[in-house]
Amino acid sequence: MKKVKRNVAIVISSSDDDEDFSVKSNFTHTKSKSKAKPVSASVPRKNPKRAKTALLSASCPRPSKKGSVFDEMKRFCEEFDDDFTGIKVSAAPVFSINVYVLTVLRTSSSSVSHHCQKTKLYETESGLQSNNDMWIDKHRPHFLEELAVQKKKVEEVKTWFEERLKAAMDGLSNVLLVAGPSGVGKTATIHAIASNLGVKIWEWTTPTPTVWPEHLHNSNSGLKYMSKIDEFEVFVERVRKYGLTSPTLKGSQASVILLVDDLPVVNVRAAYGRLQRCLTLLVQLVRIPTAIVITNYDKDDSADFSTRCWEELLLSLHSAGACKVNFNPVTVNSIKKTLTAISRKEQREVGADSIDLIAKASGGDIRQAINSLQYLCLKPHRRPILSSKERLDNASCLDDVFCLPFGKDENLSLFHALGKFLHNKRESEHAIASDRDTFLLKEKFVRFPLKMDAPEVILCQAHGQATTLSDFLHENVLDFLSEDAIDDAWLVASYLSDANFLLSSLSGHLSRDFGAQNIIQSAAASVAARGVLFGNAHPVPSRWHAIRRPKLWEVEQSSRRNKRQMFNQRDDLPNSLSTYSQIVMATEFRPSLKWLGCRASESFQADDMVEEDSDSTCFHENKLDLSDDEIEDW
Amino acid sequence: MLWVDKYRPKTLDKVIVHQDVAQNLRKLVSEGDCPHLLFYGPSGSGKKTLIMALLRQIFGPSADKVKVENKIWKVDAGTRTIDVELTTLSSTHHVELNPSDAGFQDRYVVQEIIKEMAKNRPIDTKGKKGFKVLVLNEVDKLSREAQHSLRRTMEKYSASCRLILCSNSSSKVTEAVRSRCLNVRINAPMEEEIVSVLEFIAKKEGLQFPQGFAARIVEKSNRNLRRAVLTFESCRVQQYPFTNNQTIPPMDWEQYVSEIASDIMKEQSPKRLFEVRGKLYELLTNCIPPEIILKRLLFELLKKLDSELKHEVSNWAAHYEHRMRLGQKAIFHLEAFVAKFMSIYKSFLISTFG
Repeated sequence: MKKVKRNVAIVISSSDDDEDFSVKSNFTHTKSKSKAKPVSASVPRKNPKRAKTALLSASCPRPSKKGSVFDEMKRFCEEFDDDFTGIKVSAAPVFSINVYVLTVLRTSSSSVSHHCQKTKLYETESGLQSNNDMWIDKHRPHFLEELAVQKKKVEEVKTWFEERLKAAMDGLSNVLLVAGPSGVGKTATIHAIASNLGVKIWEWTTPTPTVWPEHLHNSNSGLKYMSKIDEFEVFVERVRKYGLTSPTLKGSQASVILLVDDLPVVNVRAAYGRLQRCLTLLVQLVRIPTAIVITNYDKDDSADFSTRCWEELLLSLHSAGACKVNFNPVTVNSIKKTLTAISRKEQREVGADSIDLIAKASGGDIRQAINSLQYLCLKPHRRPILSSKERLDNASCLDDVFCLPFGKDENLSLFHALGKFLHNKRESEHAIASDRDTFLLKEKFVRFPLKMDAPEVILCQAHGQATTLSDFLHENVLDFLSEDAIDDAWLVASYLSDANFLLSSLSGHLSRDFGAQNIIQSAAASVAARGVLFGNAHPVPSRWHAIRRPKLWEVEQSSRRNKRQMFNQRDDLPNSLSTYSQIVMATEFRPSLKWLGCRASESFQADDMVEEDSDSTCFHENKLDLSDDEIEDW
Repeated sequence: MLWVDKYRPKTLDKVIVHQDVAQNLRKLVSEGDCPHLLFYGPSGSGKKTLIMALLRQIFGPSADKVKVENKIWKVDAGTRTIDVELTTLSSTHHVELNPSDAGFQDRYVVQEIIKEMAKNRPIDTKGKKGFKVLVLNEVDKLSREAQHSLRRTMEKYSASCRLILCSNSSSKVTEAVRSRCLNVRINAPMEEEIVSVLEFIAKKEGLQFPQGFAARIVEKSNRNLRRAVLTFESCRVQQYPFTNNQTIPPMDWEQYVSEIASDIMKEQSPKRLFEVRGKLYELLTNCIPPEIILKRLLFELLKKLDSELKHEVSNWAAHYEHRMRLGQKAIFHLEAFVAKFMSIYKSFLISTFG
């Protein structure tokens, strides 16, 4: 009997370059099939650093806010692991040591599943059986025809590369930005095109993240820590100055293209600045055709600092002369086509309906879809192995509902959700007849059924804060009420006032209790949304409306500023023997000082007013444009 | 210097209004000591003036030498230290401040300042350890926690420190604090009293005014002495010699509120509600407290309203005033009140005039 030994080390880390603790969470999950003996350092010594990573990262996860995300990740890995182990038993025993390195590039958002950015397999021994592979690697498209990406986009990228390869064009930049959500085939397209054109790809691979214990070890032994962005800068510098002098490419005659896949992750403004400078240099000066792959994360929380920075970065690169191609999510049909092709190749019977479901749930992420498909195909093998009753229950329950454990969560932008609430689309009269039997309501409380999901579901998808939501609703709802429905206006206003009342209890004694806070938040959001839906009993027929930014925010800001100014003014009041309270200042002194008109503060104040006015209006217009775009999108 | 400050009576003997209270206070401190005091009464009734005069009575002229300081208090709150910036007005004998300016950190401020004052007690002429006076304004605006911590520190440091609290309404001061103080109620001055104050100022300034002119100012001032004096000074700037048909300059925000009220009466629709919201925002931007806006708005609306609606409207105003105190964003509640009023008024119009 051959001994089967299998070590799986999974290192999850987020590399924050400019923070000291470079690792938010890491763990090593080891599994030994034949015996449960502890794993020694048998991870391949291909790269000593990586081996160390695996070893040292056996520390406990840090107790941090990312805990839930981390747990989810862990469960995901375990389940995957189980499944693959299940396969293993039925397959011929082989020697294989696999190291999955899952690099989670960003751990900030709530949905974790699509953050498994890159799954890389390092195989040290040949002769690996194929059914052990991840299908996404096995069925990686090699020809242009296999790509599920839009033909036009592929053509666009291909033409670009052809042009640049033919002759170095001095006037134009040699950089192509490929942007798009994750899993739409950006990298795959470039690889396929490269093989189609017969050029070699030289890739910037992100160095393995340094974990904290390793960093400690290194700094103890005198090694200097080099952050990822440092390394990237060095790399760019080299490429810029000397072209490609990599030993692997020496002597080869084929032309090469440079592929920068994952850019270093940066979090601080200064680091963004460095990255931007460095990339701009690259855009301006590089001689070989270069593709930079940029993954857009959830666009909906545009308030997020890092998202904003990425947008800025893209813009600046674009203005520096880089060509930009935007990839859209893969269409459901092409995902279905690909999935069917794969399942045929793997000789598995997968129902058309399940493929349909996977394709729809993936949200245009083809990597996700293939992973789900593979997971789905594993299920039949899983049953007989599982002995524990609990697991069985679990599995059957999964089958019953047929929910995909790793389907992409659907996301809605805040504006989209607001539009749904404000437009208040409802069924026509006929649908209500059946409902009336169940609930006997007074005429004035009866509303037609909603033409949308439950408001709470929409709120969930929109990830909006309750405060933001109610502010937006408050600002915009009056536009959507019909001409003389003042009663409706009152109803809406009273519900918004209720929501605000609920939210204010957050600042009190409950502020420490996160659980209670969450409940109140969602209750308030629900009251606001449902109040707006219910109160607007006579919605105006659908009409185009721009959604405004709450003016309340500006008002609050300028009121704070005025208050500060008033305090200063109070201190300037000559020779007063006492301090006046703020109310007295606002309601009595300031008006009379205006009449008296001889105070120095007067002119200063007037200046301020004018400045503030112009400021706010232009800001407002900007914002309006922005929201117009958002509305037009849907 | 504004007339309000210029003609503020410096000693208890010189006060024109509340002479009886002044007499009692003088008797109270004749021994050189006093209990904790709580002054309460409507705005502009002379609480602060009496307090300052009282301090002068206790400590002599040196109490008048005050300096304004913008001080940053470093407060040790368990695990971290908080910086609280507050403006204080202090002489060698007393410190005056508005703790509610510190917002929700007021409880730290109160304790910290009292502790610090207790640390360096002044020594009086007889070699005895004296006490300092802490004047706290707007006690009714202190948070409940701050009032609780006040109660504790009041007892602990009573040997070295006397508190003089000043508030608009005693009902918002907790029972515990009230019972530890001598409560002094300062009524709003009578209209005749205010007239006599204005006459006093006019005499000092060498001004003449026609019969009934002072009465008109007083009528506008709503028995608020400070406002009367300020308005008087504005009138002086606006036009002198005074004439009987001279318009008394109104407070701009009050005029604005009455504009809002007439807007509301003219049309009741979501569109109008939106316009009203814009005007309310304007008021809030200028730091007019929302409670006062609501009160004034109700007042203006009631003036124009049919008597059978008054009850209901006042009821709703009270409802939303309460909401406003509980909630955090005043505009939501103000607007809800306006909407409710519009709704009531519209249905009233329809039922009456068809």
